[in-house]
Amino acid sequence: MNFDLTEDQREIQRTAREWLASRYPIARVREIALDGGSDATWDEIDELGWPEIADFGMVELAVVAEQLGFSLAPTPLASHWAARLLHPELEGRGTVAMWDGEDGAKLAVPAADVADTIIVQRGDQVFAVPAAEASIEPANALDPTRPLFTVRASGGEEITGDHLARAWHAIYVAAAAESVGVAARVTAMSVEYAKERKQFGRPIGSYQAVSHACAQMFLETEGARNVVLWAAWALDNDPDAAFMAANAAKAYASDAAVNVCRSSMQVHGGIGFTWEHDLHLFFKRAEANARAFGDSTWHREQVAATYL
Amino acid sequence: MDLTLSPAEEEFRDTLRAWIADNHPGKEPEGDEASFAFRRDWQQKLNERGWAGLTWPEEYGGAGATQIEQAILFEEFARSRAPQMANVLGLTMGGPTVIAHGTDEQKARFLSPILSADEMWCQGFSEPESGSDLASLKTRAVLDGDAYVVTGQKVWTTFAHHSKWCMLLARTNAEAPKHRGLTYFLMDMEQPGVEIRPLVQITGEAEFNELFIEEARIPVENVVGGVDNGWRVAITTLMHERAGLAFALQARVQVALGELADELRGTTDPLIRQRFAQVAIEAQVLRLLAFRGLTSTMKGGEPGPEGSLGKWLWADINQALTTLAMDARGPAAQLVDDTWTYRFLRARANSIEGGTTEILKNIVAERVLGLPRA
Ligand SMILES: Cc1cc2nc3c(=O)[nH]c(=O)nc-3n(C[C@H](O)[C@H](O)[C@H](O)COP(=O)(O)OP(=O)(O)OC[C@H]3O[C@@H](n4cnc5c(N)ncnc54)[C@H](O)[C@@H]3O)c2cc1C
Repeated sequence: MNFDLTEDQREIQRTAREWLASRYPIARVREIALDGGSDATWDEIDELGWPEIADFGMVELAVVAEQLGFSLAPTPLASHWAARLLHPELEGRGTVAMWDGEDGAKLAVPAADVADTIIVQRGDQVFAVPAAEASIEPANALDPTRPLFTVRASGGEEITGDHLARAWHAIYVAAAAESVGVAARVTAMSVEYAKERKQFGRPIGSYQAVSHACAQMFLETEGARNVVLWAAWALDNDPDAAFMAANAAKAYASDAAVNVCRSSMQVHGGIGFTWEHDLHLFFKRAEANARAFGDSTWHREQVAATYL
Repeated sequence: MDLTLSPAEEEFRDTLRAWIADNHPGKEPEGDEASFAFRRDWQQKLNERGWAGLTWPEEYGGAGATQIEQAILFEEFARSRAPQMANVLGLTMGGPTVIAHGTDEQKARFLSPILSADEMWCQGFSEPESGSDLASLKTRAVLDGDAYVVTGQKVWTTFAHHSKWCMLLARTNAEAPKHRGLTYFLMDMEQPGVEIRPLVQITGEAEFNELFIEEARIPVENVVGGVDNGWRVAITTLMHERAGLAFALQARVQVALGELADELRGTTDPLIRQRFAQVAIEAQVLRLLAFRGLTSTMKGGEPGPEGSLGKWLWADINQALTTLAMDARGPAAQLVDDTWTYRFLRARANSIEGGTTEILKNIVAERVLGLPRA
């Protein structure tokens, strides 16, 4: 019984934290996301071996995913992971299209512009459609760090196999891990601001309405990280608990990130509501991520179904 | 990361499970005296097997086991709905304090009767004017020859009416800053200077008491951890115990959750299902926090913030769970039933006893996040 990361996992965490901090400082994230700058780091990400990190294990993937959320890196890596989990033989880059719009359109598909293959969910089935055969239109995404597209893709080759149910749950865990990263970063930002900002001659963090809000952020962030690591571990080691754990992780971590960001905006006061401040980028990632791959209400119902 | 048990730990769990199945005393009788006797018998039975003080050193009647084995024991007790042991405060606080800070003579004198339930313990910290601000307490202890003479009032003293010994915090130095003038004593309750008056709780029971202390005498050899060092003794023990306690509490939450699931099975009310799932998820979060706490104490480090987070989260969850159970009963919840009414009422104290939720948030904000003091 040991609930710590291994030395190797720590090393992966360190590398991810440092590499992402150097390539994607928040000013660079803003440039790419808000000013339409371009991102050319995929080859480097490929060299780091991250696109295939699921082959090492889900804990390793979750560790990197948390850092993606922490840095808000505007990379299509997570979308590619999702595609590759569903379609292990995937060649090139992929993404997943789930949400049905009208007349066969798939809405809110991330990274469709850079994908070679789009994995399309139709009912209980999934199909691999070459992106070249699909129509791809940019959509107006809430989260500017993760561009979304409307995709029309018919036909394709059906993907079958026993891996699918696990793959969906692994995707939930990866998304949950990103939310943990967002929650962790915003908790730290809030605490720092609460120490610096003075009103009535005292740091605002000395007022319990503020300090207790920060404590609540910390509780939810720690809790979310624990439940995500448990779910990631269970997917590789404890299949009986894994699916429930993954649903629990997605529900709890989504809520944690959303709660932390909303509360942080209150702690920041007016400055947190400005375009110029970075908080809204994290806020929008948290809100969008909470609705991708099933919202918390849906995931909670899956948990309820295992008990009731 | 590895959340599995080692073969030796699995074997311990299986032995424990089989033993509990053979020795389970059945349902606890009602009434304070009867339930107390029942819990004392159970503790004695466990102690004969070496399991009352599982992690205590062998020379004092313990089994020298690991924190993980202790966690397994808590989980198995909860799972089998075994009774509580009678001497809770001696086992979770008094004994560990004596082990950590006591002299060899104190260890030889006090530990074994805690395990055998021959001598019960209570905790005399809180006073009418000093609850959250514990260090402001006023009970005075004045040296008179080879004993301290103690005068003051304590309140909310759980199980004082069954106890032989009281972990008493009293002021020995009125000049020193409030945290530095306190001493931790072991006070004999069986003396004329100690009067106990029961306090009835909202559940109708009288678990706790008022304690009136009028020139009670405590021999100097019953000071634990040095004169004027009582705050440190009280705090370090509390911190170290919280990790283990969190495990016992989370195990009980899991069981209550299972019982509630049995009652709610098949319900189609989406609100009830959502609320149930939320409690189930948070109960997992609590369990994982307890695992985290175990991992850090096993590595010999200071217990992390898990202790305060765990106590806070546990109170939230237990209140949410018992409230949900009441709500699910609908109009029937106007009547007292034989499970949830009591649990719902008792859970209201969870965010007050052992440090209020507000105080725990202060601790997290100040000591973990480094925010300035209020
Ligand atoms: C069932 C039960 C069993 C108990 N058993 C024992 C026992 O065996 N031995 C023992 O010594 N004690 C025991 N206690 C006492 C318990 O530790 C105290 O009740 C608790 O510490 C709170 O103190 P208080 O009741 O004086 O409330 P107060 O400290 O007066 O608090 C009242 C309210 O003010 C809030 N508050 C106080 N200070 C602050 C602050 N700085 N910031 C924000 N909010 C604040 C509190 O959170 C609370 O909401 C028990 C209590 C209960 C309910």
